[in-house]
Amino acid sequence: MDPEDLVLFERSLGDAAGRATGSGLDAALDQLGWRDALADDPSAAVSLLFEQQGAAGTTSSALGLVLADALVGNAGPGTGTVLPAIGGCTPPGTVVAGRLRVRGLAPAGLVDQPSALVVASSGADLAAVTVPTASLGLRAIGGVDPELGLLEVTGDVDRTRPARAVSPATWAAAVALARLAVAHELVGASRAMLGLACDHARGRLQFGRPIASFQAVRHRLAETQVAISTAEAMLDAAWLDTTPERSAMAKAVAGRQARTTARHCQQVLAGMGFTVEHPFHRYVRRSLVLDALLGTAASLTTSLGAELIDRRQLPPLLPL
Amino acid sequence: MTGVEVVADDLVEFRASLDTWLDANGAVLAPGYEGAGELDQQMDQLAKVKALLFDAGWGRAGWPERVGGLGGSTLTRAYLGEALAARDLVEPGLFSMTEVLAPTVIEYAAPALAASVVPALLRGDETWCQGFSEPDTGSNLAALACRAVRTDDGWRVTGEKLWTSLAQYADRCVLLVRTGTTESAHRGITALFVDMDSPGITVRPIGTMHGGAEFSELFLDDVVVPFSRTLGDEGAGWTVAMDLLPYERSTSLWHRAAFLHRRLQEALESAPPEALDPSRLGEVTELLYAFRARSRGTQHRMADGDRLGPETSIDKVLLATAEQAVFDLVADALAPEVTTGDDPRSRRWRSEYLYSRAASIYGGSAEIQRNIIARRLLDLGDDR
Repeated sequence: MDPEDLVLFERSLGDAAGRATGSGLDAALDQLGWRDALADDPSAAVSLLFEQQGAAGTTSSALGLVLADALVGNAGPGTGTVLPAIGGCTPPGTVVAGRLRVRGLAPAGLVDQPSALVVASSGADLAAVTVPTASLGLRAIGGVDPELGLLEVTGDVDRTRPARAVSPATWAAAVALARLAVAHELVGASRAMLGLACDHARGRLQFGRPIASFQAVRHRLAETQVAISTAEAMLDAAWLDTTPERSAMAKAVAGRQARTTARHCQQVLAGMGFTVEHPFHRYVRRSLVLDALLGTAASLTTSLGAELIDRRQLPPLLPL
Repeated sequence: MTGVEVVADDLVEFRASLDTWLDANGAVLAPGYEGAGELDQQMDQLAKVKALLFDAGWGRAGWPERVGGLGGSTLTRAYLGEALAARDLVEPGLFSMTEVLAPTVIEYAAPALAASVVPALLRGDETWCQGFSEPDTGSNLAALACRAVRTDDGWRVTGEKLWTSLAQYADRCVLLVRTGTTESAHRGITALFVDMDSPGITVRPIGTMHGGAEFSELFLDDVVVPFSRTLGDEGAGWTVAMDLLPYERSTSLWHRAAFLHRRLQEALESAPPEALDPSRLGEVTELLYAFRARSRGTQHRMADGDRLGPETSIDKVLLATAEQAVFDLVADALAPEVTTGDDPRSRRWRSEYLYSRAASIYGGSAEIQRNIIARRLLDLGDDR
């Protein structure tokens, strides 16, 4: 996309993500041709949509599309994607004795799709299997963030349809892309939290002056700005050359900085940010789930460290 | 030492040919001491390496032709410092002084003056220092008191400077002086380019916690400075200083990131595995990569001709955080070396650990950087 198209596309996505959520946003993305954009210019399509979605606190089935696109190309209309269960990137399906067991998550939009794409492991091999959505058990997850509309997906079905082999590298690359998407959503949510906290700090008077004039408040907000910029820089670097390791690092940094952002902004927003009358709590809830989706910052960071100790070699340097 | 053509406008080619040259000339370039060496040795090594680089053309890449450079992208300068730090050929902080001071003189000195003095700095024939802070003005630079008055002979300067890095080695000084009234604050400041052998200048080196005497106290007693040595206009010193500070947070920080990467890799290779905590090592690695990713963006903005501004305060905060995190990890992973080792390598770890404590103090403290971020980037208004 040229810069002008990019600006227009960003504005349209921002409007859509600000106005609609769930199936409404899915429909808007279809209309905007987001899926084609994902194939043509994944970094623009993913970064623009997910940051806007994160900032608006809305949701869509786009994460499933990101995963599907990287796994099998365009899975075609009518097919949703099952995501790994919360906290990791284990393929959601396992094939044992000709049966497919499913344990994963899906965006709310899966209920509207006749079929579901499930990546399943069978011993050391991976395959993408398409099954009728009706054959799966779907439960709306309440959890810390009911508005996210995530579904718990379970199933134990006959593997009637042909499977398509997926190499471990393809799965890792798909997870890497999906992690970048979630990281962008975390950045969007963090930017929104910082915006709320800065507005509050400028407008709230105590001791006859805006609380933004107190250094204890200013430094928390500055620290937040640094944290978010850090995640943004990691994402820029990860898009230059998306390896699973770089993507995991970007997701880890985005998850950690979102927790930092939530902590500082909560303190600045104080009592007001603790009520459900203020929008802040929605971002706290959202970022907690997003951090856990496809691996928490803590677990990704620990596995990175263990891997480094094992090979005694830092990850390849980002070139100038 | 020749045989490789310096291509200053293509980073990929520059990188490959510089690496080849550095590897081929490794023996000549290598320092003649073990570990960190003493400051005098580091300065000699710096001068030797800069002269070799300049004469072969590498040290001229990315600098304007009118000051003896070869032109080309500033990214080549970033890569040169990275390559030197990655091979431990120079102390990165000393090497990067050029990156802080040369752009200012190139931009604000009279063209003939810049053309005559900058090549000597690039080649390492001269050392320059930066006379900004004073005993009573550290973070509050706009309150500086070192005074210059107009006379028939030129400016006459009297006052004191503090924390002036390398002043005892320096041939020249970029000096901020007050030419207006004290109340004129940042409006009454002028920048001068002063010869350090001028009568009336006394330098007192100050020992530091990490060893050596990297900075000094500078006394100026009725020092005559010709008007031709004014950088920018009278009263424009604040602008000169504000334009210089972002340079302090661009190329030199990229060099520092390369240095920290080398040290973390060395710690990873030499620490006993049980002394390394995976989650902590993972977090420090992520932090260092994030700092490098952030600084990479800044290098490219500078190379594209963007004016660097307050957003570089984020780079400085990240440097301080990453450097202290790396050496905090080193202090635990290599505790015997850092605490009780007396071999050159242990002394180097110890000195660098102690120096990392200053990363959140020098070049604008962590607090000042956060104030800049709050006021200039987050639009939070004044802090009073």
